[in-house]
Amino acid sequence: METLEQIDDAVGTLAKNDEIVDIYEQTFPLVAKYIGARGGSFEDTKDIFHDALILFIEKRAESPEHTITSNSAYILGISKHLWIRKSQKNGHSIPMDHMESQIAIPDDYFPTTNNRRLLHFLRIAGERCLDLLRSFYFQQFSLKEMASSLGYANEHSVSVQKYKCLEKLRNTVKEKSLTYDDFSE
Amino acid sequence: MMTSRNNTRVIDHYLHGEPSFADKLLFEARLAVDPVLKSDFHFQKKTHRLLKMYHREKLREELEALHRELFNDPDKIRFRQSISQLFK
Repeated sequence: METLEQIDDAVGTLAKNDEIVDIYEQTFPLVAKYIGARGGSFEDTKDIFHDALILFIEKRAESPEHTITSNSAYILGISKHLWIRKSQKNGHSIPMDHMESQIAIPDDYFPTTNNRRLLHFLRIAGERCLDLLRSFYFQQFSLKEMASSLGYANEHSVSVQKYKCLEKLRNTVKEKSLTYDDFSE
Repeated sequence: MMTSRNNTRVIDHYLHGEPSFADKLLFEARLAVDPVLKSDFHFQKKTHRLLKMYHREKLREELEALHRELFNDPDKIRFRQSISQLFK
């Protein structure tokens, strides 16, 4: 499993992504102004802004054909939805333009206690496997790129490791789910 | 009898690959008669939901790091001042 330790170097973090850093600097003040004016704190702003950026990054990755006219306006729109949720305000009392009202926060964005607990087990049992699978499914790394950046002989070796990891995590999820119930989900 | 590892591949192909129409039909037919595959399928989908949750947690950690960098950078003092005025 030693090669998996290199994954942190192989996968760039957001702090090194110039586009994200620019968006952060341009948009954080807009969200701070909006939330600050409505009685929210600096910490509230940071939490909401980070969630909004994550949802923005997901939206771009999942539907590249979806044109976002202004990144900042879109992130501010998501932030308004998250602020409504956090401050328990009635959505109708916060004015939104057409683009903003079209934004929907995915149902699975706020995890259940059960899923939080399960993920906690997975992080203890197999964080390296989580990182490998994350690169594959959510960071759009190809097997070829992963083979070269992680030091595997070829794509086949990465593929074998991927399925080993998937099976290992699935078995942990199964074991823990059966221990604590939740077939009902 | 398919092994568990084979199930993992077949399920992944169905969920995240580009299965042909025939692949889909065959998989769904097996799913109806193979309780082990059915159980593996259920938990593999659940694992994928947890992976997505993990991805979000990692992004949140990366954004915390970016936030710390930005709010500790001596060159960004004006940026910080303009933000802190909003919370007085």
